[in-house]
Amino acid sequence: MAAAVLLTGCTGTEEAPIPPLAPAAGRVDPGLGPGTRALSSGPGYKGSPDWDPDGTRIAYTVDGYVVDGPTTPGESRRWTTKDFVATDTEWISDDTLTILGAASPTERGAENSLYRANAGGGSLELERIARGVLAMSPIPGEDGLIFALVTGFHGSELALTRDGGASYKTFSDNPIDGHVSALSLSPDGEKVAMAVRPPGDSETSELRTFDLRQREGREVARLQGDREILGTPQWTRRGLYFVAGKQTTALDGDGSDPLFDLYRVPADGGTPEPAPGVGEDFVASSIRLSPDKDRLIIIGRLNPNSPINLYVLDPAAKKLEAVTANEDMEIKTDPDDLAWTPDGKNVAIIARGIPSTEPEVRTEPADRLLKDFYNLYEIPIPEEAAR
Amino acid sequence: MRDVAVWFSGAALAFFLTAGAFLLLASIATVPSEKSLVPEPPEAASQPAVGLKLNADQLASLRPEKDQSLDLILRNESSTPLSHVNVTLSVSSENTALSIPRYYRHVVEKLPASGTADIRFGFDLSEPEQRITGRPASEPAREILEIKATTPAGISTTKTVVLPP
Repeated sequence: MAAAVLLTGCTGTEEAPIPPLAPAAGRVDPGLGPGTRALSSGPGYKGSPDWDPDGTRIAYTVDGYVVDGPTTPGESRRWTTKDFVATDTEWISDDTLTILGAASPTERGAENSLYRANAGGGSLELERIARGVLAMSPIPGEDGLIFALVTGFHGSELALTRDGGASYKTFSDNPIDGHVSALSLSPDGEKVAMAVRPPGDSETSELRTFDLRQREGREVARLQGDREILGTPQWTRRGLYFVAGKQTTALDGDGSDPLFDLYRVPADGGTPEPAPGVGEDFVASSIRLSPDKDRLIIIGRLNPNSPINLYVLDPAAKKLEAVTANEDMEIKTDPDDLAWTPDGKNVAIIARGIPSTEPEVRTEPADRLLKDFYNLYEIPIPEEAAR
Repeated sequence: MRDVAVWFSGAALAFFLTAGAFLLLASIATVPSEKSLVPEPPEAASQPAVGLKLNADQLASLRPEKDQSLDLILRNESSTPLSHVNVTLSVSSENTALSIPRYYRHVVEKLPASGTADIRFGFDLSEPEQRITGRPASEPAREILEIKATTPAGISTTKTVVLPP
């Protein structure tokens, strides 16, 4: 009886701290459709979102430094100092983040290094893995990473880390002629798709693949005539998809956004064709392959005059479906501003309201404002979308 | 020897029974009833609240330079006089990598019920240090003014102004 009484006494409600409410977290209606949830608030130029492997935290850049926060109310963490300029962040495990960027850069375009940061020990410390890194992609399920390094003046080579380690091996016997600007893995994880800028030819962009087992690379497509590949090519079961268009360094002469198209090319090579199913007037900005490798999420517009929205494309069915019905939000269109949750049920995007040319007065503190600044939103992807 | 064993057994039994009874009582007494925690509304009707009124024309005339002025009207919107109200202005950049907010403070003494007070802040709106950050040149950072009035009871009213670049 004493034991029973003791047991009863020990099973009382545990005392647990109540985490602070995240600013402005929760379902909101910023004009991006029902079920949209804000994942950040307040000022700051956010970019490059990436969900951790269990989908409970999201990392992103803010004015160049790296933060992550829980998707439920809770504290966010800053992973780098504010003088760090990160261009990409990727989780390789639940507590380890890889960051591509430069510490205290003195000029834009300074050489990027690849860093690893681990949150397991209670303090966040950056460990440099490699210098002169051009692009990276995580290897799902292996705590690993494939990345491209600068070699010489005009060349690149691929390198690989596994099991979360800081050491890496390079594919130095298989140099790539030109600089890799972006890369991603094939659905089976054994090959790499790369966008490459050939040496000494600023008017050409190449799409290349590399077989990690056979250690063989090949050119899949070559774009000429001032066209470039924007962002990361996505390797689907129906071929390689990529966004490409006329090279530009800023807005086009008439002040409008540059127009890029979505293309598809067979993985074993051929002539790129407009992606089937999106319509000939479709303007694409960024794409990401779903975790189940069956769908592409696309930020784009149905035609040059329509608003930017989020779409899902099923490459097998050649079917495009709108996910958002946005009219008055500016969805950010940088190539890395798009991320699927690991379960494939939601997508993170970055958006803001149309900036005003007049002072805007609000009744909330700045760190709780949403539409006045670029912020992250979680958009649910309907189960039946593009299936 | 047997008496000692009996004595120890009895003492142990008494100890466990007493401890168990206390734990049972403690368990019953401390389990809280399940209840959602609803945050207190910041401006309950019984609490004295203040209002802030800004001048739209003056906001439009602000420039990213030193020696800027901001006039505002503080109003006691309650029927209770306030002994004092703390009013702060923070000036920060939308570029959070550069932003070290500048703070300015003004204390209004004795604000009668439904009374108003005119406040003028002189402040520095010049651009912060420039260095390379992750914000592209095509996205110039805007300046943010945050004005907060706090009553002695800790009730706050905030106005945030986002100035165009």
